[in-house]
Amino acid sequence: MNHDDVKSNVLTTTLESAINWGRKNSLWPMPFGTACCGIEFMAVLAARTDISRFGAEAIRFSPRQSDLLIVAGRISIKMMPVLIRIYEQMPEPKWVISMGACASTGGVFDTYSVIQGVDQFIPVDVYVPGCPPRPEGVVEGLMKLQDLVDKEKLSDYSPAPTK
Amino acid sequence: MPTETILSKIKERLPDAVLDITEFAGEHILHVKGQDILKVLTELKDDGFHFLADLTAIDNLTLGGFERFAVSYHLLSHKTTERATVKAYISEEKPSLPSVESLWKTADWQEREVFDLYGIKFEGHPNLIRIMNPDDYDGYPLRKDYPRLGRKERGDFPVIDRPIQKKKRQE
Repeated sequence: MNHDDVKSNVLTTTLESAINWGRKNSLWPMPFGTACCGIEFMAVLAARTDISRFGAEAIRFSPRQSDLLIVAGRISIKMMPVLIRIYEQMPEPKWVISMGACASTGGVFDTYSVIQGVDQFIPVDVYVPGCPPRPEGVVEGLMKLQDLVDKEKLSDYSPAPTK
Repeated sequence: MPTETILSKIKERLPDAVLDITEFAGEHILHVKGQDILKVLTELKDDGFHFLADLTAIDNLTLGGFERFAVSYHLLSHKTTERATVKAYISEEKPSLPSVESLWKTADWQEREVFDLYGIKFEGHPNLIRIMNPDDYDGYPLRKDYPRLGRKERGDFPVIDRPIQKKKRQE
């Protein structure tokens, strides 16, 4: 192998950017669709917007096989323990998109039974506004999340202090 | 036989049970005592009102009425397309009345819904447990004296931290 072959066939980079590049372009979403946002999320998957262009087409309905939780819809007090359990079952690294007004703030449902924003209880990375958001909005949120994943540092991944 | 005739005949047959007969917007309403609801509805079912279209409840806290709670039965006769409403009144101290699940199977879940949201107990119901709220829920949210925003149930969950700390997330 001569010097020209090495220049045209070998790419040097950091391990960090290689890992982040792989993670951000291969997100495995777990949809938690409880309302009309769940229907709109189906349109995000379909041919017109098609999030497989961003490497996120492998929708898993098992939290153990996914790394992106998409909370789509209002979460009631009966559903919140289920959502917490599903979030905890997802393996690291994991990210959360809160899709729509209800998941982010409770929306118009300011009643005793609706959680006023899931970020009170689980960490949320990206909020997508709208009621429901247009598919383009969800894709914008996904691209914002890809930027976040790209900026992550491996040194930031340190185990949480044990309680 | 028109609905008002059927209702007035029931008043003749069960004078102790029937409190009043009224009419609103062309619909006839039979007001009865809660404990006698099964007798009244059995008679009505025999008289042709064989379909229970809806079963719900009313909290008369600010409305006034014979008693605090009224369980409302909406009946329909498919033969004559006539409708009749029966309101069974029960007190705040003892909010219970006989179940009509033996007459209509559809009353099973509807009575569970009324129990869940109003705390009205149906005697003889086969499975009177909450249908929508969590099993450990305390309170009856559709009662008028229940706060609209609840009693902090919606904030009563553990806060889950990120299992792995991502210190420089904000950048």
